[in-house]
Amino acid sequence: MITFTLNGRKVETDAPPTARLLDVIRDDYELIGTKEGCGEGECGACSVFVNNLLQNSCLIPIGSIEGAEIITIEGIMESEQFKILDESYSHAGGVQCGYCIPGMVMASAALLSQNPHPSEAEIREGISGNLCRCTGYNMIVDAVSLAAKKGDGLWQKK
Amino acid sequence: MAEKITAYRFDQLDQTLSQLNKENCAIIAGGTDVMVMYKSRRGVPPKIPKPIVFIDHLSELKRVYQKHKDLYIGACSTYSELLENPLIPGPLKKAIKTIAAPAIRNRGTLGGNVCNASPAGDTLPLLYVYNAKLLLRSVNGERIVAISDFIQGVRRIQRERNEIVAEIILPSVMEEGAHVVFEKVGNRNADAIAKVGFAGYIRLNGAVIEDARFAFGAVGPTMVRSVDIEKGLFGKTIPLADTDIAQVVGAFDKIIKPIDDQRSTAIYRKTVALNLLRYFLSMNQYQHNQ
Repeated sequence: MITFTLNGRKVETDAPPTARLLDVIRDDYELIGTKEGCGEGECGACSVFVNNLLQNSCLIPIGSIEGAEIITIEGIMESEQFKILDESYSHAGGVQCGYCIPGMVMASAALLSQNPHPSEAEIREGISGNLCRCTGYNMIVDAVSLAAKKGDGLWQKK
Repeated sequence: MAEKITAYRFDQLDQTLSQLNKENCAIIAGGTDVMVMYKSRRGVPPKIPKPIVFIDHLSELKRVYQKHKDLYIGACSTYSELLENPLIPGPLKKAIKTIAAPAIRNRGTLGGNVCNASPAGDTLPLLYVYNAKLLLRSVNGERIVAISDFIQGVRRIQRERNEIVAEIILPSVMEEGAHVVFEKVGNRNADAIAKVGFAGYIRLNGAVIEDARFAFGAVGPTMVRSVDIEKGLFGKTIPLADTDIAQVVGAFDKIIKPIDDQRSTAIYRKTVALNLLRYFLSMNQYQHNQ
């Protein structure tokens, strides 16, 4: 049995130790906001927070996260920070097909919580592990930059 | 039907080592390579053919400290942890920033990069020019081995079944006057597997070269380095004469034998590798970036 915290709730799973965190959260807990893109850690669609650090859930064997705190996109949806990101992505036109967006939003939130006033280059570096095949990235970079401005003061506190 | 997978995750390194002494296991640190290597279909756990030992949580494998002029880096330090550590030399940090992307840097470990022994391992050219050594631990004690002896071929390492790479040692890395450059060429800045990697190390006394080292990644089964060629530069002064540069580049031209694969071609790899070397040797002054 592996015990961990999922979006603030203590959970237990009997999934095999090499099961991917991605599959466990999607199939066992039906949190389907987290997507599978490449399955190899190159696209970022499966990004989650593990102990507050952005990680690719497709690369995480469930056996290695005993006791860890996992937060998925569903886990941040009620936060003020998420609302700002949501508005900013909409306003900047950062969402087209939407498949990459949960991962993009997680990467954006991770970046802003570490660096509340990122430069354009820092934004591009922050989302560099996330692929988007629609937008060409510029609108996403605009969205993050807008979220930094709109949410000024919100990002530091965790 | 579904086979049971055995996995261990001990609180202490000692327990981990005694388990490894009893049983031949697959060791997983960050897992960023292993999980891809054994990837299966969606929803199907990767099938790893041995019992698994998780080690990434062991604090004994995450310490970073300086002893005399040598730097000791715990093998399970993640790239992100190293980026935040003030003891890590600038060039190594610069190299780490070119590895993967934030999410993988939060998970991948330096020891994992070494033990994966990929021909394109990102940190390897740099570890080779630092003359890195590995400290291996087992129930029988510890031993230290040079990285160039440890990595024997594509994904082949000289690790006994009961051993763990505990620390990566960078000898004399705090020494004065050394200048280190790292370059990586890939398809994409983030998350790319290198087409060519290059690390150059030069130590000057005034304008006189006291030590020079070069390592090339992704152009052979393991890193390409030649102590003989390097020695030819000792005692020369910078800026180097064109004939000296041509001689060194010509010598590496003979020993760099890349292959064509899905990422690049042999001719491209060789051209870029030699260009990076020529560029490094042609510098009039080296950034002091320790």
